[in-house]
Amino acid sequence: MIRALRRRGWGLTVLGVIGVALYLFPIYWMFTSGLKNSAEIFASPPTIIPRAPTLAAFIYVFQRDDVLRYLRNSLAIAVPVTLLTLTMGSMGGYALSRLNSRIADLALFTVLLLQVFPEALLATPMFIIFKALGLLNTFAAVILATTSKTLAFALVILRPMFRQVPIELEEASRVDGCTPLQTFRRIVLPLMRIPLIVVGALSFVQAYGEFVYPLTLLTRDEMQPATVGIYSFVGAEYADWHRVMAFSSVFVLPILVLFLALQRRIVAGLTAGALK
Amino acid sequence: MRGSRSLLYVFLAVPLAYLLALVAFPIAYNIVMSVQDVNLGNIARFDRPFVGLDNYRTVLADPDFRHVLGNSLIFVGANVLAQVGIGLAVALFFAQRFPGVHPLRGLLLAAWLLPALVVGALWKWLFATQYGVVNFVLISTHLISTPVHWLSDPSVSLTSITIANIWLGMPFSMILISAALTGIPLEPYEAAALDGAGPVQRFRYITLPALRPALFAVACLVTIYTMRAFDLIFAMTEGGPLDASNVLPLFSYQASFQRFQFGLGAAIGSFAVVIVVGVALLYIQTLRQETQA
Repeated sequence: MIRALRRRGWGLTVLGVIGVALYLFPIYWMFTSGLKNSAEIFASPPTIIPRAPTLAAFIYVFQRDDVLRYLRNSLAIAVPVTLLTLTMGSMGGYALSRLNSRIADLALFTVLLLQVFPEALLATPMFIIFKALGLLNTFAAVILATTSKTLAFALVILRPMFRQVPIELEEASRVDGCTPLQTFRRIVLPLMRIPLIVVGALSFVQAYGEFVYPLTLLTRDEMQPATVGIYSFVGAEYADWHRVMAFSSVFVLPILVLFLALQRRIVAGLTAGALK
Repeated sequence: MRGSRSLLYVFLAVPLAYLLALVAFPIAYNIVMSVQDVNLGNIARFDRPFVGLDNYRTVLADPDFRHVLGNSLIFVGANVLAQVGIGLAVALFFAQRFPGVHPLRGLLLAAWLLPALVVGALWKWLFATQYGVVNFVLISTHLISTPVHWLSDPSVSLTSITIANIWLGMPFSMILISAALTGIPLEPYEAAALDGAGPVQRFRYITLPALRPALFAVACLVTIYTMRAFDLIFAMTEGGPLDASNVLPLFSYQASFQRFQFGLGAAIGSFAVVIVVGVALLYIQTLRQETQA
């Protein structure tokens, strides 16, 4: 039925475009709400296309020091998490793809099992551990905690991808006198460039959107990332929705740009890891 | 090759040690706390009084806990049914060949990539009673006559967070089901077509049986991801009103960090741990069978 279906042409394309547009309407609504002024945002009925689009809410967001600070903090967490995840993820993913032993089986089982625990449950023990280590109110604590989430995910996705690197290349490199570490760095890693970019992008997105760990491990407002910042804006019953949506739009823009640039590869990477 | 193997074991040990220290140890620590009396006074110490199963007794006797446990089961169950059901329908639509099919399908994933906290904030705005676009659409199409209090009505708020979470999660489920669909061999369809089987029969007797293990694996993953939901609910309702949209991890977090009953929070968490570990074992089992087949 699937591939046997004959090409039905543009009728289905039109249907698909309409369906996808309706599904992603909330994202459109986020951006256009940010383009409204304080009167139009509370217009009834709401205007589907902004009547008087203005960048006022975006300018407000950029002029407020704390918003820029929130965004900076998000990056200060997400970038180190990405690097840490890629380093340990490529080591572990490579090892899991090459080792065929009971220990490797057990390790894979452990990784699969350890990726399932809700962060909200890990938050209390993490709070106690980092308090004991004197790391509360440091980015290091949030970075270490968040990496525990992204690392398991990276290992699961990278393992099948490392498997696609032909082992003959490694053997040839060994014959040429390279040590195992040199082979890994000079032969294997360069071939894994694209999968590592995909996993790096996904780890970045997860760390950038992390909420529970900064909320728990940072008590000083000036260290909080944008997720906690947005929460503090919507926590009240009443909110300046055009400003919240402008803030949210600015915050998610890097994610959407990464996504559009890597869309095909992200889809391929996700499907390779989760069901194999 | 000996040098190569020892390097591989070192490579394996580093991330594994990391995960054991930062996931396995905290989970074990949580279980220990669930049989201790932990409060703000002794949280930093390690010699806390053991109280046996007292925390579990207190939790089980708490009607709020039973309410929240029920919410969790409804929330997770509805997400599994909707994400797998809708995900399958959408995947089947995109399994047809038409211009632009792959970019269009991939585009849906944008919803899944957004931070759950932002999705929660966004749906809080969409669901706003007076100025929200959801009520506007429903009223102008005469589906409802008075605005629904999506987030402040205790009989509706669980539905509202469920809808938002399905929106966030469905594209990922759909992509996984899509991948499984493309793996089904073509020959049975050709044979069925020769035998005059219609599209419904082909779906029922070929597609669905071939897809069953993948659908089960996706259902397990949705359960695991939905059990994790925190940010989205925190942004939309904080579990309220009156715990109407509260779920286990959030309830546990509130016990620990808002009421400082860390022992009770840990005991509540243990119930969530049992659920996710059970489902994770089913999931791993399914993956094993898949790779052996």
